Amino acid sequence: MKKLMLGNEAVAQGAWEAGVAFGSGYPGTPSTEILEHLASHEEVVVQWAPNEKVGLEVSIGAMLAGERALCTMKHVGLNVAADPFFSAAYTGVNGGLVVVSADDPAMHSSQDEQDNRYFAKAAKVLMVEPADPDEACWMAREAFSLSEQFDSPVLMRMTTRVSHQTGVVNVGGKQAVSGKGFKKNIAKYVLLPSHARERRHDVEQRLQAARAFGNQSGLWNPIYEGKSRIGVVTSGVAFGYVRETMPDASILKIGLTWPLPIERIKSFAATVDELFVVEELEPFIEEALLAAGLEVKGSALRPYTGELNLTVVEKMLLGAPKHVATVDLSDAPLPPRPPTLCPGCGHRAMFDLFREMRLRVMGDIGCYTLGALKPLAAMDACLCMGASVGMAEGLQRFGGPKEKGKTVGVIGDSTFFHSGIPGLLDMLANRSDATLVILDNSVTAMTGGQPNPGTGKDIRGNDAPQLDTAMVCKGLGVKRVRVVDPYKLDEVRKAIEEELAAPEVSVIIAKAPCILQYRVTRGRPAEVKTDICNRCGACIRVGCMAIHEHDGYPEVDPEMCNGCGVCEQVCEEKAITIPKA
Amino acid sequence: MEITNIMLSGVGGQGILTSGRIIALAAMDAGLDVKMSEVHGMSQRGGNVDTHVRIGEEVPSSLIPVGGAHFLVSFEKLEALRYLNYLRPDGTAFVARHEIPPLTQNLKKNAGYVVDIDAKLEAKAPKLVWVDAFELAKELGDPRMVNVILLGALSNAIKGLSAKNWEAAIRQRFKKKAQEACLEAFRRGSAYGRAA
Repeated sequence: MKKLMLGNEAVAQGAWEAGVAFGSGYPGTPSTEILEHLASHEEVVVQWAPNEKVGLEVSIGAMLAGERALCTMKHVGLNVAADPFFSAAYTGVNGGLVVVSADDPAMHSSQDEQDNRYFAKAAKVLMVEPADPDEACWMAREAFSLSEQFDSPVLMRMTTRVSHQTGVVNVGGKQAVSGKGFKKNIAKYVLLPSHARERRHDVEQRLQAARAFGNQSGLWNPIYEGKSRIGVVTSGVAFGYVRETMPDASILKIGLTWPLPIERIKSFAATVDELFVVEELEPFIEEALLAAGLEVKGSALRPYTGELNLTVVEKMLLGAPKHVATVDLSDAPLPPRPPTLCPGCGHRAMFDLFREMRLRVMGDIGCYTLGALKPLAAMDACLCMGASVGMAEGLQRFGGPKEKGKTVGVIGDSTFFHSGIPGLLDMLANRSDATLVILDNSVTAMTGGQPNPGTGKDIRGNDAPQLDTAMVCKGLGVKRVRVVDPYKLDEVRKAIEEELAAPEVSVIIAKAPCILQYRVTRGRPAEVKTDICNRCGACIRVGCMAIHEHDGYPEVDPEMCNGCGVCEQVCEEKAITIPKA
Repeated sequence: MEITNIMLSGVGGQGILTSGRIIALAAMDAGLDVKMSEVHGMSQRGGNVDTHVRIGEEVPSSLIPVGGAHFLVSFEKLEALRYLNYLRPDGTAFVARHEIPPLTQNLKKNAGYVVDIDAKLEAKAPKLVWVDAFELAKELGDPRMVNVILLGALSNAIKGLSAKNWEAAIRQRFKKKAQEACLEAFRRGSAYGRAA
């Protein structure tokens, strides 16, 4: 049967068809929808983990129990899960284990552009790369068989344009797989050095066997014979661009990308006069072909960063793009429209205060990273999940008198649970006097409102145990924990001043539900009295979509305004009011 | 049959994804292949968003190249102008008469919205169809009808998709009680396309 599906939905469909018993992971664009779709199958246990490492470890437990398990994350999530990932390569599997890494070429929603195909090579596990939703479905399904056949976790590498591509998918029924049960085998599953040294050889043999399989497999690594004498080796989303740009070329499309089927590539190369490699991001395949002594053109013909598209591939293969823009926009510089915090968002007030108080803000990953953008522009560093805590401790300690008493770490609730807690332990154990602000909106908002341990719901929306952020901090040993209402600027300002002055670790929890995910309306739309307004611009500087310039004065869009009252509080002239309900 | 490329643009939260899905479902109903590329995540927080829809006998890839779109369907004027360079020399833009000011950065220096945007769009688009989608949706009593109205306008221009295909797609995408209203909005919208 054919169905219209998002790439991520197709991964879930394929995993379900393979009889997967368990799915885990941590939300992250562009991977999030996989588990959400898998959760539509009631018989599969699907749960969000606090972070990717834990998600993979629970999946490994399910795999050890003999069940098929799926673990999903975005590319940087695999950095977090790298420890169990590399070790699971040595234990191998009992039930099939598929780890999905959704890479983000061009960094649409990410802090880096890493090419996770190198993870497969470094960890010595099998890797598959689908080109579109239909392949995402059957490859996810078959990846579980590969995993069991070769006793290896399988890395399924998605990219943004496969994960978030919608297309026609051939769907099937669910395979009958029976759980194998746990089998004690300490030489395989207890990675003592003496065991690991033995397993190391098994890992190598498995790779050789998988390479031999890939060299023969027309299913995974198909050849499209063309009329011309030009050959292209390609993988993943790049395949479509190649097919469309050069319908006459011969194409070797690699779906089982690691271990690379080098013999198959060599024989293919022998049949053509000119050989290209077209792949997104790093020259992963190209390096191997050059090392094998093949003459090949590739990465030098395209930008080293960003995603591929028809224009780039046309330039690569044809020397010039077939499509060019004929509409000239160069004479009309357009105002950019970057993403912003929602009107009514509780984070806005906090960042307005950070800017006003001239604080040094060590930020983190979430909606609130948008507080770094103008006009709020109140963040000084943002690195990776959880890093705000450690960075704040380090800057506070070494920033000198200039930064002393001015530095805060700023982190969301989900990110705090993900990997902020160990940083807080470090502050406590090493006698820091730093201040951490937790922006607690009780949800993982940026990725679309997934529950976290503080939400009190599971992935299907059922009630679940709810961790209290303040209790967690107190339980860790923080003596100064304060909960504030982020919409009350004076109260929050006072709390920040006091905690910055305190000679020990402090945590300020700004607690208010996400207005988008919990559908909160804070009040009636703000009203501007232009006769009182002195056009100071304080209200504009809170960076709210609902308030904009009109004839030199602020104007509120009543449809958009959430009535949060932040602009009212920053207006010293009292020219903005929220009408009482 | 060659591939027909339809670019949708607007501001996050305007229902652009839904529109793309309806075109894709209509294409499937017509027995065609379809690929669509969409934006999720950070780009949705009030930022500009686009959805690429490509339909044909066989569609190998999902992104429309610059200069490759047969049609541009825009939910907002500034986002129509921003994406005009995706149109082919013979392409048509269907633009909702609607303005959403981008975030004001500075009360005193802000240029506000693009000056003379209607004239700029008319001068630069190879072909342009204005659609009073927001007014019409209001008249029909549901602001969410904007997307089906715009699709109605587009529907006359796309060869290969019949009224039956569009109806099937709308019925699949919307709940039963909303279907008739959506179909009516779609029909009202199609009046705009015919005038082109």
